[in-house]
This record gives sequence, C-alpha cells and structure tokens, in this order.
Amino acid sequence: MNSQDRGNVGIVIVSHSPKIAEGAADMVRQMVGNAVPLAWTGGDVDGGLGTNVAGILEAIEAAWSPSGVAVLVDLGGAETNSEMAVEMLAEDRRARVVVCNAPVVEGAVIAATESSGGSSLAAVKRSAEEFYA
Amino acid sequence: MSLDRASREELVRALAEAVIQHADELTGLDQAIGDGDHGLNMKRGFEAVLATLPGLADKALPEMLKSIGMTLVMKVGGASGPLVGTFFMELGKALPEQPTRAEFVAAADMAINAVKARGRSEAGQKTLLDVLVPVQAVLAAGGDARAIAMEAAQAADRTTPMLAIRGRASFLGERSIGHMDPGSRSVSLLIGAAAKVLEFEARL
Amino acid sequence: MHDAHASRAGETSVPLTASAVLVNKVGLHARPSVKLTQCAKRFAAKIELALSGDGPWTDAKSPVKVMRVKAPQGATLHFRVTGPDGEVALAAVLALVHDGFGEA
Repeated sequence: MNSQDRGNVGIVIVSHSPKIAEGAADMVRQMVGNAVPLAWTGGDVDGGLGTNVAGILEAIEAAWSPSGVAVLVDLGGAETNSEMAVEMLAEDRRARVVVCNAPVVEGAVIAATESSGGSSLAAVKRSAEEFYA
Repeated sequence: MSLDRASREELVRALAEAVIQHADELTGLDQAIGDGDHGLNMKRGFEAVLATLPGLADKALPEMLKSIGMTLVMKVGGASGPLVGTFFMELGKALPEQPTRAEFVAAADMAINAVKARGRSEAGQKTLLDVLVPVQAVLAAGGDARAIAMEAAQAADRTTPMLAIRGRASFLGERSIGHMDPGSRSVSLLIGAAAKVLEFEARL
Repeated sequence: MHDAHASRAGETSVPLTASAVLVNKVGLHARPSVKLTQCAKRFAAKIELALSGDGPWTDAKSPVKVMRVKAPQGATLHFRVTGPDGEVALAAVLALVHDGFGEA
C-alpha cells in the first residue's frame, strides 16, 4: 500500500460495445471521482462491435500510472485481445498491467474504488475479482 | 525450404484469397455458433495484409510471417486476431531464413504452443487447435503437401460433432454440436492454400 | 442519530464501537458503499461494520463486501474500529452515514 507517491492505479475498460465501455467509464467517474486515471475502448477497427488491440494499447497508454493499470473486459475476444495488448507493451510496463477476471461494469467501479484509496495493483485486482469469489 | 521473392508474394496472395473468397461461408458458420463476425474479421485482416504487398514479400520469410501476424493481430479483432496472429508471429520468430523440414516442424510446434497459451486451450475443445495439432502430426510424420492439405480439411470437418468448451461457442453448450468451428475452417483454408503453393513449387 | 457514548477502553487494541442509522433513501447501495469504503481507506485503522452489534462483521474497506451488506434506509449500521487513528476514523464514517452519503 505504498503506491501513493507513484499515483493511483489506472483503470482501463474494454468492451465489444463502445457505448458499454463509455457508459461504464461514466459510472466510475460519477461514483468514484476523478482521482483515478481512467480510459475506455470498444469496437473493432471498422467501428463495429468487437475489440481491437490498437485501441486497447492506446487506452492503457491513456490510463498509465507508475503504480500500474488494471484492465476490465467483457466477453472472450476482449480478454484475448487485452492479453495480446499487454504482451505487446514494453517489457518494463508489461508486469504492471493486469487483466481482471471480473464483470466489466461492477469490476471497473470496484477496481476504481480500491485504486482511489491508494491500493496496490495486486489489491485492486483482488478486490475486483471478489465478485466471482 | 527456400522461397524466393515471387514465391513469397504468391504465398501471401494465396493465403489472403483463400480467406477472402470464403468470407461469407465463414460468417455463416460463425452465425450458427458464434457472433457472426468471423468471416468479416478475417477478410478485413487479410485485406490489410494484402495492402502491405509488395513490400511485405521483400522481407525474408521469418520477418514476413511476423509482419503478417502483427497485421492480423491489429486488424482482425475478435478472439481470432490474437490467435491466428500469434501463430504467424511465433512461426516467424522460430524459423530460420531457409528452414529445413525439421526446423519447420520445430517452429510450427512452438507456434502451436503459443496459440495454446494465448487461448488457454488444448485440442479437443472445438477450436483452431483441432486443425493445427493433427496437421502438425502429419507434418512431423513426413506427410507431403497433399496429405497435409487433406488432413487440414478433414480435421476441420471433425470439429462438427465436437462440443465447444472455449470461446463464444461454449456459451451454447450442446447446441454447439453439429456445426463446424469457423476458426478451424479458416485455418484449414490457410493450410490448404499454403500447401498448394508449396507443393506446386515442390518446396516442402 | 448515533450512539453518543462510543465505548472506549483506552487502549488502541480494544475496538471502539458506535452505530448510526442509514438516513439516505437507497440505504447502503452501490454508490454509498463506494463512498464508505473510500472514506474508510483514508485511515490506517481496521474498520468493520455490521447490521447487528454482535456481527457478523464486514471489512469496511472492501467495496465488494460492503455492497453485499445490502442495508436499507432505516437500518442501523454498527461500526467497530481498531487502530491508532481509530477515533478519527470512527467519527468520519459516522459523519458520512449521518449526512446520508451526501445524497437525498
């Protein structure tokens, strides 16, 4: 819990639907506030339903924090693409990004709540994943 | 196995055409047990690959494969982009510029393992691994291009009665039985196209 | 509306306890849960809450656990706090509940 000096853990929301991703981000902002770096992405490269690695990489960049970034995803491809994106990050960043096994909306709110209290990346992930515990 | 520039370009065009020409069929398969975007996604990915020609074929084989993989990862989307893209990228990473057959078998083995890790999946779960794994066995046993292409087609057919355990189709449970896995069909098309080019050139 | 005589035994290892009634309309719903855990996390003290004075106790710093408490408007929230900054922490969470988490 010594992440205060490095800033709060960032949160990235990845959904097949850009509307869901944006809406979940709105909920996080309203419920948790602005103390947490937050970014969302959704849709395939043509703007249809889906996810794309480039968009996820951009979102991770936008929500970057030296304390790390927790990624919340919805279905199958969102997870696979997010894991792919994490692997494509520079090596020093790769270890500081985690994909959470949690529902995307609830997980994002919980992860952001945890992060807003200055918790570590591991604590943020653990808290979001309590939903499926 | 040695591919000159013209053969490399021929190979890329054959791979892309195989997918693009069957895009509607792939979408139809995916509409039955997935979310219906597989054909479109793969088509978009391979059109993007074609757009990197002719420069793409100037690259040595390993670099060319890595580049194809990266394009697919960035453009295909869905779960197929990372899975098929990973296969090409890892194959490129593991291959020397002029691989022997044994080196090709070893590289394909590494690429398949990378796909397994990416999808946290094994053969038998109604995924592209159900084509990759049996084809790899034929390749390792010394099968020629014709035998490889035949195994790829038959392996895709064999996914029809399988129960999906991974991927979107797994939500359907038993209703996934009776439909061919679209990812398996895509990969069998790619292998079939590659085998045809390589057989004609008598390079495998 | 809380127990004005928060029990206190002098030592920090002995928990301080107090209770407050949920006045806001939705009770301890999602948003209030987030506010409560955010508030609790500002303190080093261990902060727990329960719907009854003898538990079961829930970690007030865990957003998921707090949301699962599902206390409606009018319910009494009991707090149990242990730690060096326990007194301030207890005052802060009680104030938040009294203010209806800043909601109607």
